[in-house]
Amino acid sequence: MPHFAASSPVAEMANPVPSACCMVLAAVVVVYAQRHSQPDSHTQFERVGADVTMKCGSMDWDAAVTWTVNGTDIDESHLNGSYLILKNVDLSQSGQYSCYEGSAWHLKYQTTLKVGTPPREPVLMCRSNNYPKGFYCSWHLPTPTYIPNIFNISVIHGTKEMVCEKDAVPKNRCHIRYLQLFSTVKYKVTLTVTNALGKNYTTVTFDEFAIVKPDPPESVVAKPVPNNPRRLEVSWQNPSSWPDPESFPLKFFLRYRPLILDQWQHVELSDGTSHTITDAYAGKEYIIQVAAKDNDIGTWSDWSVAVHATPWTEEPKHLTTEAQITETTSASTSSFMAPPTTKICDKGAVVGSGAVAVCWTAGLVVAAYSALFI
Amino acid sequence: MAGADSPSAALRRRDLCARGIRLAGKMRSDVVDLLDAYVEQQGLDASASVAAVEGVPPAAVERWDEQTGTQRLLENLAAYRAFRGLLAQMLEEQREQLGEADAALGRALAAVLLQVSAFAYHLEELLRLESRGPPTDEGDGPPPQPQSVFEQKLRGLGVLRELAQWAVRSARDLRQLAKPGPGAGSAPSPAESP
Repeated sequence: MPHFAASSPVAEMANPVPSACCMVLAAVVVVYAQRHSQPDSHTQFERVGADVTMKCGSMDWDAAVTWTVNGTDIDESHLNGSYLILKNVDLSQSGQYSCYEGSAWHLKYQTTLKVGTPPREPVLMCRSNNYPKGFYCSWHLPTPTYIPNIFNISVIHGTKEMVCEKDAVPKNRCHIRYLQLFSTVKYKVTLTVTNALGKNYTTVTFDEFAIVKPDPPESVVAKPVPNNPRRLEVSWQNPSSWPDPESFPLKFFLRYRPLILDQWQHVELSDGTSHTITDAYAGKEYIIQVAAKDNDIGTWSDWSVAVHATPWTEEPKHLTTEAQITETTSASTSSFMAPPTTKICDKGAVVGSGAVAVCWTAGLVVAAYSALFI
Repeated sequence: MAGADSPSAALRRRDLCARGIRLAGKMRSDVVDLLDAYVEQQGLDASASVAAVEGVPPAAVERWDEQTGTQRLLENLAAYRAFRGLLAQMLEEQREQLGEADAALGRALAAVLLQVSAFAYHLEELLRLESRGPPTDEGDGPPPQPQSVFEQKLRGLGVLRELAQWAVRSARDLRQLAKPGPGAGSAPSPAESP
């Protein structure tokens, strides 16, 4: 029985299409490989405003090349021969620049251009919020450089160099344990910032006591005092970062004001973590904050989170029908008069039935109104 | 004499510590004021660094939190006895240099000297309470005499600065001592890491 061999005329007629496809596919793969084959990768850093000239690797000046940036062709007007010329570069021109030879699109050179600025003098701050354990220093640049920066910090105490251990979070901070306490010798901290375009540094000098600044007090709570329309009870806790409040006690500064006024009242408290405000305006909502300071050294903390509270006021009684009648018939003479047993402006007084304690000024106004209605 | 650990001794210790803390606070406040007046009067730069001066006990201490109560008291007492001599010398120098020209500075110096003496006595009382008794005040003789007027001024600056540090340290030491615990202010465990 005859069988078709691979070289039979019928087989030959069936093969050309797959062969052609294979050849086209192979060509595409070659071109792709040529186009994306990796020469050595470069990175170059340039200052904002600089003029940049890029050479296409080892290609001659008169070679026919195509430049792209981030995959997009660059217009020939930017070329001088095979050199790419970028004048007065700005930040938007950062990117990956690639140079291809002629029509073969053979990748000859690639570089990542990063446009940025040299660092300005950094801002450095050191503070001890956990005295006497140690202190931390933190820093930042006043303006971004747009390229990577390396920070190095040195801490010198007298003749001794100390190690400032970098914190994982935040990255721009390091901390130091005190090896000595009560020293008059100053600390000198120098921060150097370096990037590919330049270098800068700053130095701060301070003594041990000057940088002590606790964190604000925590868990500030303000509550009305039952049956006391002019009192507010405020309590708080030492900041949790302060390690030993018993040996290193804090003192506190409390400020408070009614929301409707701008002027604060202040009270300094040498011990304890609570205070009763006794001169609040009845019925007015107050805003209250607390700050902390070591008893002997350093500076005041920032103000705590603000809390709001309103002094106690008596609940208005619900009126019944009889009460309403009674109220109506005696409205002109009794509804604005304080009960005879209640002293006006007595801070501790229990409020009588149906009346609210008023201060002297309001009392005079009330008396005037009463006179008009009689 | 009551044992160091008896309740009455503990109460007495707490009382002495509390008064000592108040005394140290007042002393520090007066020393800081005196320092400002001294710098101005002597025409010095307040930020000038002064190298460690011979005879001036440095307040700086390592492992402060590991000290025992007795160590604290002994170091404090030695320091204040030294300051007593140094301040007396400063007073004499100030009178020689300025005579009556700045009586206020002289009075302020004398007042601080009195407080230093009182504090030293206070520390001796505390040591007696620890059933230890204070060491005798042998003294190392008068403090070394600076050569020039300028050196005298610089040393005076160093003395007052170091005394201000000591006043803070003493308050902290007494607070440690006042903490309830076995024995006389036994050392707490080392501080934990931040």
